Amino acid sequence: MTLTDLMTTKKPDSKLRLKVIEKVGEHKPYNCFQCIRCTSGCPAMKMLEIKPHEIVNLVKLGFIEDVINSGIIWTCAMCLKCKERCPQEVAPVDLILALRNLAVETEAKVPEGHLKNVSMILETGFILTPREAITRKLEKFSREKLGLPKLPRPSEKFKTTFLKALETS
Amino acid sequence: MKTAVFWGCVIPNAQYAYELSVRKVLPRLGVELVDLEGVSCCGIPVMSVNMNAFLYLATRNLAIAEKTGLKDLLVPCSGCHLSFSEAMHYLSQDEKLREKINSLLNDEGLEYKGSIRIWFTIDMLYNVVKKETIQKSIKKTLKGLKLASHYGCHTIRPSSIGRVDDPEDPRKLDELIEWLGAKSETYPEKLDCCGALLLWSHHDTAFTFAGLKLKAIQNRDFDGLVVTCPACHMMFDERQKADASTIGSKLDLPVLYYTQLLGIAMGIEEEKLGLHLNRSPVDKLLEKIG
Repeated sequence: MTLTDLMTTKKPDSKLRLKVIEKVGEHKPYNCFQCIRCTSGCPAMKMLEIKPHEIVNLVKLGFIEDVINSGIIWTCAMCLKCKERCPQEVAPVDLILALRNLAVETEAKVPEGHLKNVSMILETGFILTPREAITRKLEKFSREKLGLPKLPRPSEKFKTTFLKALETS
Repeated sequence: MKTAVFWGCVIPNAQYAYELSVRKVLPRLGVELVDLEGVSCCGIPVMSVNMNAFLYLATRNLAIAEKTGLKDLLVPCSGCHLSFSEAMHYLSQDEKLREKINSLLNDEGLEYKGSIRIWFTIDMLYNVVKKETIQKSIKKTLKGLKLASHYGCHTIRPSSIGRVDDPEDPRKLDELIEWLGAKSETYPEKLDCCGALLLWSHHDTAFTFAGLKLKAIQNRDFDGLVVTCPACHMMFDERQKADASTIGSKLDLPVLYYTQLLGIAMGIEEEKLGLHLNRSPVDKLLEKIG
């Protein structure tokens, strides 16, 4: 008899689980003994109800698809407290990152902001373009006006290699 | 000391006060900064999308820094510093991964050798410049000020790959503040996250993170908050009004970079430290210093 998710009647997906394990190493979900130290110190749990230990458990059980599609993986603030404090070196945040990567690969719903970072880097090399600074007295200052040097620009070749890097996992 | 410097995305595109104050303060303390050409984003903003692309970006920038022949690289952004630390860690442990990334770098004739040493603003000042040189440079004491420190999550975690200070009880920034004569008092919310990385998916929660921390500090009668990470500074200073309206509280806490505070103590003119660019009410703090 295999496990069944009683909410959806879905069965665990061992192929997807293997994909996550390949990214983080086998020790990461399986060393977890559910002490919940990660969740008890998680600032995003306080506001967005993410429970890192539950995510680790769902990966262990193989219910990957639901986690990827639920949107919960995008509520992590990347404070890295769970990685620091885990007594078993499971690092829930590493699993969350692997699940985010897998969400992109499987074309699940991904927050716009993260995808915009990629397109901005492709376009300019950076996630931002120079902004005019506004002072407390509402005066405007550009980099040039502040006497700051010109920004570096990566070469055209960089863009093609970055695309190449994005195509491999 | 002569060191390469990597500014990243946030500092040179939005947080000019940090760039101005680092450029002003460090050379006066004997640290010569060399800008890098052709660098890009450090990679951390694409970590959630594709780990391989993240490693490529991080390592590419490190390879460009190595090409200058300099042995040291100053990385004043916590996120970029984490990104480089992770890449250095993973690549030193996995020969195959190193070959994979280096074959991508080869497109531009670059190679990562693993020879460069990286520094953050805090350890550059604390461990390289050191107390004696800093205290010798001071023209104005900051005695009487009670300041709060904020390290930034990525400055101190994860300790397994080597970070700038202790992950649970960091002290270096507090000591740096006290070297200038001010008091740096610890507070229960000291390790709380600014929420910046949630801006890409959950705006309001990000502002709630920052707002609640600011409110807690304000309620403890601090004269100001001292920061060294540009993303945290953006959340606490530039976005302080958004933080306040999101949590429904009045916030008016002066927030500034440590390099600005140090510059004030060194007697450098306010505008040269970018103090006119802080959006939080730093005038209150400047008046107290006199």
